[in-house]
Amino acid sequence: MPMIHFHARMNLEFASGPGLLDVDFSLKTGSLIGLYGPSGSGKTTLLRILAGLTQPESGRIRVNDRFWLDTEKHINLPTQQRNVGMVFQDAALFPNMSVRQNVEFAAENRRDPRVNELLELAGLQNLADRKPVTLSGGQRQRVALARALVRRPQVLLLDEPFSALDRVTRDQLLNELLRLHRKFGTTTVLVSHQLDEIQQVTDTVLEIEQGKMQWLENKSENRRADKQSVSGIVTNIAFESSKVRIQVQLAETIIIVEQTPTALEWQIGETVKLNVDPEQFVRQSKS
Amino acid sequence: MTDFDWQPLLLTFRLATTTTLLLLLVGIPLAGWLAFTRFRLKPVIEAVVSLPLVLPPSVLGFYFLLAFSPTGFLGERLLSWFDVRLLFTFEGLVVASIFYSLPFMVHPVQAGLENLPASLREASYTLGKSRRETFFRVLLPNIKPSLLTGIVLSFAHTIGEFGLVLMIGGNLPGETRVASVAIYDEVELLHYDAANAYALLLLAVSFGILVAVYAINKRWAIF
Repeated sequence: MPMIHFHARMNLEFASGPGLLDVDFSLKTGSLIGLYGPSGSGKTTLLRILAGLTQPESGRIRVNDRFWLDTEKHINLPTQQRNVGMVFQDAALFPNMSVRQNVEFAAENRRDPRVNELLELAGLQNLADRKPVTLSGGQRQRVALARALVRRPQVLLLDEPFSALDRVTRDQLLNELLRLHRKFGTTTVLVSHQLDEIQQVTDTVLEIEQGKMQWLENKSENRRADKQSVSGIVTNIAFESSKVRIQVQLAETIIIVEQTPTALEWQIGETVKLNVDPEQFVRQSKS
Repeated sequence: MTDFDWQPLLLTFRLATTTTLLLLLVGIPLAGWLAFTRFRLKPVIEAVVSLPLVLPPSVLGFYFLLAFSPTGFLGERLLSWFDVRLLFTFEGLVVASIFYSLPFMVHPVQAGLENLPASLREASYTLGKSRRETFFRVLLPNIKPSLLTGIVLSFAHTIGEFGLVLMIGGNLPGETRVASVAIYDEVELLHYDAANAYALLLLAVSFGILVAVYAINKRWAIF
């Protein structure tokens, strides 16, 4: 099984004072993990070490069979050779280039068909000739995501890319991230200081605090893999703050699912497909 | 107006243009290096670059005079190895002007680069782009106002050179007699009309350049 192994130690200035960042974990290639922790806990530093933008005092990073970093053997691949994609908190779009040029810049070849594919997948075709300064925060992060994916990175790193966005836009982008992750299967690390944001896209969460890490208890992880796809008819839609509760009539029972506002295109009477957790299905059937 | 001659003005603009073009080649890489280096002696290099801002031009001119003279450290070798003379020649003025106007090119460009968000540079690296490609395709195009300021200040500062030119160039018509020296000369000879003509032209050109810079910089502001 292809894996990514990460180990790093370095002295850092945390929000609460100086301390030691000491992190050691392994990931399955193609997985999507969340990196959660309060501000100033070392999340961004960890991501930067992975990208080669910061060098730890000691550490080792192995991606499949290739060492990106091994301080003992004096191996430290420059960022350019690590094949990572990174989405920054401020999007870091190049102001002198249009949306299309930003994405083209990342491609090996301007005529790479992947440029158009990603512009389309990220819903950016109509904005392709616009300069970043004219885009909204959500649109900028979409461009940054498309740009980061053009090179088919082995690891996609997202450094709190949605933290400055309103909740509706954030939920939309999280859904898009999940869609793109499923399509391309890129190993993805999403950093956030908001646990609910991470849990919208993954149950695999690494918590980091004061430079120390732990995997969060993950009761639903196994269930997620066993979800069943079922069809049903929407019978009611109720709005509740940031969520929408949608009642769906299945063959013999009714199920209520909570959706983010991106599901608003659903209408009463419409037949929809759902990925249902069997446990939830049973619980709802009994009620 | 009988003493008015276009040659000093043309020579001034030729000197300013040559100096500015060479400063682009020297000053931009130096500014880029200073902006991002962690070299321990960076403050020393920065101090050397900034010296012409605080030194009287005559001090700089005096040391260039010593260095360029046929018996000086540099002048002797240039003469014997390449048959090149820098004292009282246009080429000598260009070399001295490059040092004299260096901070006017380096400072705005360095400040422009340092003020760009670090994430632009880092994003380019994560996209597999080299330092050189990042510098020329991402960083420089996004500091156009700083580049323009550097170009214009270097050009204008070279036009305004006087003490340094007089020390190492003298007053050779067509070779080292630039407009500022010509004005001084005409005033000494009490040819106020000619001096006025040179001065007015320099004033008009300098003012025009500065107005254009401010107007263009306002349009280019992107952050």
